Amino acid sequence: MSITEQLAEIPWGLIWPLIAIQLVLMTAALIDLNRKRSTNGPVILWVFIIIFINTIGPVLYFTVGRRHS
Amino acid sequence: MNTVLEVSGLTKQYDGIRAVDDLTFSLGEHTATALIGPNGSGKTTTLSMLAGLLRQTSGTIRFSGEGKDPRSAIGFLPQYPKFFPWMTAIEYMELAAGLSGLEGRSVRSACEKTLGFVGLGDAGKKRIGGFSGGMKQRLGLAQAIVHRPSLLLLDEPVSALDPAGRREVMEMLKELGGSTTILYSTHILNDAEEMTDQLLFLRSGKLIEQGPLREVREKYGGSGYRVLFNNPEAAERFAASAPWAARADGSAVTISGEAVSMEELLRYAGGHPAGITNIGRVSVRLEDIFMKVVERP
Amino acid sequence: MKQFSLLLGKELREQARSFKLFWVPLVFIFFGALEPLTYHFLPQILESVGNLPEGAEFMLPEMTGADVYASLTGQYQTIGLLVLVLAFMGSLSGERKSGTGTLLYVRPISYSTYYLSKWTAAVLLAFASLWLGYGMAATYIVQLYETVPGFTDVALFLLVMAAWLIFVVTLTLTASAALPTGGAAGAALGILFIGMMIDSLVGTYWTWSPWKLQGYGLMYLTGSPESGDLAGALGVTALITVLLILFGIRQARKNAAKAKV
Repeated sequence: MSITEQLAEIPWGLIWPLIAIQLVLMTAALIDLNRKRSTNGPVILWVFIIIFINTIGPVLYFTVGRRHS
Repeated sequence: MNTVLEVSGLTKQYDGIRAVDDLTFSLGEHTATALIGPNGSGKTTTLSMLAGLLRQTSGTIRFSGEGKDPRSAIGFLPQYPKFFPWMTAIEYMELAAGLSGLEGRSVRSACEKTLGFVGLGDAGKKRIGGFSGGMKQRLGLAQAIVHRPSLLLLDEPVSALDPAGRREVMEMLKELGGSTTILYSTHILNDAEEMTDQLLFLRSGKLIEQGPLREVREKYGGSGYRVLFNNPEAAERFAASAPWAARADGSAVTISGEAVSMEELLRYAGGHPAGITNIGRVSVRLEDIFMKVVERP
Repeated sequence: MKQFSLLLGKELREQARSFKLFWVPLVFIFFGALEPLTYHFLPQILESVGNLPEGAEFMLPEMTGADVYASLTGQYQTIGLLVLVLAFMGSLSGERKSGTGTLLYVRPISYSTYYLSKWTAAVLLAFASLWLGYGMAATYIVQLYETVPGFTDVALFLLVMAAWLIFVVTLTLTASAALPTGGAAGAALGILFIGMMIDSLVGTYWTWSPWKLQGYGLMYLTGSPESGDLAGALGVTALITVLLILFGIRQARKNAAKAKV
């Protein structure tokens, strides 16, 4: 099966909400990070965590990464 | 004069250490009282107990407004006021005013007016998270006065400000002093000297001196004269030969105000003019009193 | 009442501005969608990732809608609880530590109003998350599975789950009233997960406990729970919750003195 065939087989109608949620969470976390720029640990580390760890990354940022001023 | 607050035998003990030890004093209506003492002398602890944040180990605090929750009649400004950074200034003011019992349509305008009074008129819609230290201090004052409290407790209200901001805030406090009783702690004695009816000196939690500024000043040297010379030797000679107690300190000579009148001093100086550059009246500075009081055994 | 609405407004505004209002429900919704999808496409997923020998067949048990709800509930019992506890662990302790609470405590507020405003905001967010999460799952389940539980059964199940979540939120807030943030999270999670362990060990004998609620609730999807046990568990949970609220208010008042000045 070629890659295009495999892609075509994926039921996008069912999956796009998952991707949308991922993107919303990621965007919200990045906006907040950009606004505050103060985290527990290096900011750049949190950028990577938010972008590369699915779902849990932004959640980790909001719960433990965010520093309350 | 009506008394707004009466404190007697107020004591706070932490792990066997008496942070505040047996304070007794009272505050008259519309007076300003300065709480003075070195760091760690118990100023903040005292104010926290009066504000209802800390419970005293023993002693009583009595407010004139009987029956009500005394907290509704108090405005409190901590040394470093902390706000919710995600709120705007006007939102914070409305929360503060509402919690203190202000109601109705006038709340918003009262909040705006208070923000204007402290010089934050244009910053009302900005998030507090972006405020500078000085702006937070001003907002701190605004939230303390918005509900028109009869007693204002201020912990080092100006010590975090730059000289210009300090001057402005002192002017605000003087203006408020006409309608409110103010108790504030400070270690900037110039400020205390400017706006004080009563002084309370704290050391290691104990009230070691108190009274109206004038009386305390009299007690610790009152006023006197200072004669300046163009060289220290001339000052020494003048002090040694003068018929009254005179103290030479570098090229200045200080003479107690009780010993001699200005006329006599001038007459004597006219006979011994060697090296004199300036003669003036001085009153003892609060700072000198503070040092004397605090270092007294 | 005036104070309550002011403080509740403050809490809700804080939820919105700290993004909590969005990310907590989104996590629930995400798993609500992921779980039915994963089970439905499990055969294909295994096929595409595994290098299985030719001709090997999977004998996967046929999943029903109720099975997926049960499995999703298992997810929420770990990740969901973690998210809720982490979201609310600093509700009171954070305001003490940062000193933002100080300027509230010097005003004539009642500590029960203070605690209950936080409690209401947290319970509302937990409910929204729970219902949106299971709602998302339901929309997938009705599309992908043959046998699905009826609407009323799911609604009854969610009501029981709501009681469990009220218990979780109350425990977290009371821990936050009594302890610093880190300790609050540890205590709340410790009690919740140790409770689950105890329940799995001796649960057969201890039928009236908050930890039983999710199991009883799930029974609505396949039949119906033993009504006496369910009522007992709900009663005990309600009692513990009320006691926790009262204790939390006391602690909030007592610890106000620890607020940074």
